[in-house]
Amino acid sequence: MGQDDLIRLDNVTKTYQAGAPPALADLSMDVTAGEVAAVMGPSGSGKSTLLNLIAGLDRPTAGTVTVAGRRIDNLSESGLARFRARHVGIIFQFFNLLDDLTVEDNVLLPAQLAGASRRAARAQAGGLLERMGIERHRDDYPARLSGGQRQRVAIARALVNAPELLLADEPTGALDTATGLQIGRLLQQLNAGGQTLVLVTHDPALADRYAARTIRLLDGRLAPAGVAA
Amino acid sequence: MSWPRRNWLGPVRTASGGMRRHKVQAIAIGLVVLVSTASATLGFALLAASNAPFTRAFGTQNGAHVTVTVNAARASTADLAATSHLAGVTAAAGPFSESVVQTQFQGQPFGQMALAGRASAGGPVDDVVLNAGHWPDGPGQVVLDDSAGGGGPALGSTLTVTGVPGTPALVVVGFGNSVTNTADGWVSPGEIARLRAPGVPQSTQMLYRFTHAASYGEVRADVAEVGRALPAGAVTGAASWLAVQNQATGNGAIMEPFVVAFALIGLAMAVLIVGNVVSGAVVAGYQRIGVLKSIGLTPAQVVVAYLSRVGWPALAGCLAGVVAGNVLAAPVLHNSAGAYGVGSQQVPWWASVVAPAGMFALVLLAGFGPALRAGRLSAAEAIAAGRAPRAGRGYAAHRLAARLRLPRPAGLGLAAPFARPARTAVTLAAIAFGATAVIFAFGLSSSLSRAAASQTHSATIPVRVEPFGPGGGPGQMPTAAQDAAVPAALRAQPGTLHEVTLYGNGVKVPGIAGTVNAAAFGGDASWTGYGIIAGRWYDAPGEVDVNNAFLDQSGLAVGDTATVNTGTAQVAVRVAGEVFDPDSRARMYGSTQTLPGVASPANVVEYDVALRPGVSAGAYVQAVNRALGGQNPWQATTRQDGGKFYTIASGLVSLLALMVAVAAGLGVLNTVLMTTRDRVHDLGVFKALGMRPGQVLTMVVCWVAGPAVVAAAVAAPAAVALNTATVRAMAGTAHTGIPASFTQVFPPSRLALLSLAAVAIAVAGALLPAGWAARARPAVALHSE
Repeated sequence: MGQDDLIRLDNVTKTYQAGAPPALADLSMDVTAGEVAAVMGPSGSGKSTLLNLIAGLDRPTAGTVTVAGRRIDNLSESGLARFRARHVGIIFQFFNLLDDLTVEDNVLLPAQLAGASRRAARAQAGGLLERMGIERHRDDYPARLSGGQRQRVAIARALVNAPELLLADEPTGALDTATGLQIGRLLQQLNAGGQTLVLVTHDPALADRYAARTIRLLDGRLAPAGVAA
Repeated sequence: MSWPRRNWLGPVRTASGGMRRHKVQAIAIGLVVLVSTASATLGFALLAASNAPFTRAFGTQNGAHVTVTVNAARASTADLAATSHLAGVTAAAGPFSESVVQTQFQGQPFGQMALAGRASAGGPVDDVVLNAGHWPDGPGQVVLDDSAGGGGPALGSTLTVTGVPGTPALVVVGFGNSVTNTADGWVSPGEIARLRAPGVPQSTQMLYRFTHAASYGEVRADVAEVGRALPAGAVTGAASWLAVQNQATGNGAIMEPFVVAFALIGLAMAVLIVGNVVSGAVVAGYQRIGVLKSIGLTPAQVVVAYLSRVGWPALAGCLAGVVAGNVLAAPVLHNSAGAYGVGSQQVPWWASVVAPAGMFALVLLAGFGPALRAGRLSAAEAIAAGRAPRAGRGYAAHRLAARLRLPRPAGLGLAAPFARPARTAVTLAAIAFGATAVIFAFGLSSSLSRAAASQTHSATIPVRVEPFGPGGGPGQMPTAAQDAAVPAALRAQPGTLHEVTLYGNGVKVPGIAGTVNAAAFGGDASWTGYGIIAGRWYDAPGEVDVNNAFLDQSGLAVGDTATVNTGTAQVAVRVAGEVFDPDSRARMYGSTQTLPGVASPANVVEYDVALRPGVSAGAYVQAVNRALGGQNPWQATTRQDGGKFYTIASGLVSLLALMVAVAAGLGVLNTVLMTTRDRVHDLGVFKALGMRPGQVLTMVVCWVAGPAVVAAAVAAPAAVALNTATVRAMAGTAHTGIPASFTQVFPPSRLALLSLAAVAIAVAGALLPAGWAARARPAVALHSE
């Protein structure tokens, strides 16, 4: 693993059912710190599986996954939860905000789960809400927000523990074009500040516009150069 | 196009086939129904058992209306056989030789026993039920009556018969029950001769059933008829079935209040839990039904699909439950039969039909409403209805919880119940019922223990000296020297804290028909521990305490004065207090100064002894018996009589409470499971945001913590009220009052501790699904809905 690599996968295979084709097959790849990498591929190519393995939401069947200098494929469930809380922020296509919590409480939650002090967490959340331009909605519930506003809340939540790695699964997939562009620019700004970003997307334009590198998957493997995934 | 009719059920099968993918929910439904059905079966069986058990057992076992004791020297076998053909005799059995013997068990006096020689247990009259072992088939064997006393011999134990040559040993080869208590034990017919003390006349017993024996008058007429048919003086005694019936009915009736209380709790629990389970299953499956309706399922097919979806596991639960109920009922009814004084009791067939059928109908009824609702919904509405709780519910609770200085998972968990108020209310009620049952069970056991201690004096009088020792054969009375040796021996023991002589005799009190049993204490007896219902223990000459029967029959009250004729004197006594002595016969307690005629050497019943702290009762008894000598009829013993009912009742209470608590726990398990399913996606989000398995566990357990605390607050006063009402009802059926201490069994600290039962039930029920939630992989949870 190179000194600048934030993510490294070595010969990773993920099989969900014995006898079925693997979702990922003997995949090796890396992502450098500060990089924006887009993961592209058709449905069933293994994009979400790859994201889950990098985020520590799932474990590989074989191979090793190293993130932020730490092997995570052999961590316990508690160890993985701690890893996610400290090192990874995740942005989902459909936001996955908790409807019964206010905007501020949604953003505070990862910090509270990680054991941050109340005062520090609130200060951090307040700063992020302001940065995302949604401070006036801090006491609102997600159901009252627009799609773009919800995704901004989700980004603020993903950043509240200042993770080294931000993972975004189709972050503009549920948004209209204009709002998607706004969110894309927001992610670009974050990267400009040094944030490493892995972007899973179907949208070649999004990948071309914001990612320095595109990782193309096809049937669970890296697509050969020149093959459109 | 129209489908052939035989295909109508095809989509129904497809719709209900989801059960295979909801194994845990199916198991939860099955288990709750199983426990509820088993509980109902047991409840019905107990109710049936407590409903005229003696009458039914008397009919089943051809109980003897009269047991006539005959001097064998005055009536021949032919004379006795002829009596079976007397007018009015419908059946007769005998003659059976009998002997009244003094026995010892493990070196301790075991009391006087009437043994009958019978070749077999069965017969046209008094069909003895053999509950264990086998009937005597040779010398040296005995079958004991089940009600011969607690803490006694087991199968294979040996009893020693004293007072007859050779002190023969009898091995206990069985336990049986005669519904009319015709004997305390049975041996083979040839055995009786060597069990008879020298000089004691041979006696035999004849057992009769008569056409008319419903009243004491008819029974007396029947006995007179038999007496006239035999040579003069042949009949030496006769025991009526009516006397046995009186006692058995009294015992049985006492159990009814708490059996009814538990049956009602169990039924309410079953309705709540089953309703919750089925409604939850229906709501959880709306989405699936919506999808199936969108491809053509008719409303009727939806209803049938739903009912069959919950129906199969419920049916399995009903069938397994009725089997479990019968299995559980067997030992319980065996004990209950002992308490009621009847030979054996079985689960009535109707209980095995009504309990599962009723429970199944209840399940279908509980499921019908939601299923009908699902059937009427449009496809789109059904899909929407299957999603998360209505927006807005519980938001304020979450907001408040976020402001509290609680660990965040705990705050999230405590606020969650507000999102589903109806489900939370049902969960709360289930926990409250379970906790009420547990607290009630502890309280009732304590109340029963106090009643038992008050009646048997096991705590205050650990040692008694009784006239059943090896020197006390039938018809032999202790000598004056032997009487005098007892107080001397007791006072010489350093372990003696208190000792008092108890005299007993019948006295007459105007206004009371028959005899009043008077107990006169030859010294301070305030330490003997009689429970005081009203007034106080007597503390001056001229004062007595009496039982409830005395007050009822005399019409007197505490503080009134009565005239007592002791046979040698007529004295005026003041009733100082009412003591707990649940007996239909009037009883009176006073000092020997107050009841002078009672205190004669012939009337000494026993010597009661209290020991100093730390003194071993067993060692004390051995020391006293060594001092009294081997041939003294007076022997010290630790044996306590009369506690068997309380032991059985406490066992029953514990079993019933356990079943209700398990059902409540299963109800909680199911609710938490349903909530976990509802919120599985949120759980995935929590995990993705860094919630650790321990934090997930905490959050899920906290889902039920709030309802548990409220349930505890409801259950504690409910259980106290239920216990007080039940104990009073039990006392009422036993025709006695009770000391206030019998119901004051919940000091605040104990009640607070017992209230934790609600938390324990809730946590126990939540732990399993909480564990599943904690272990679920976030990637899977995120993609589950």
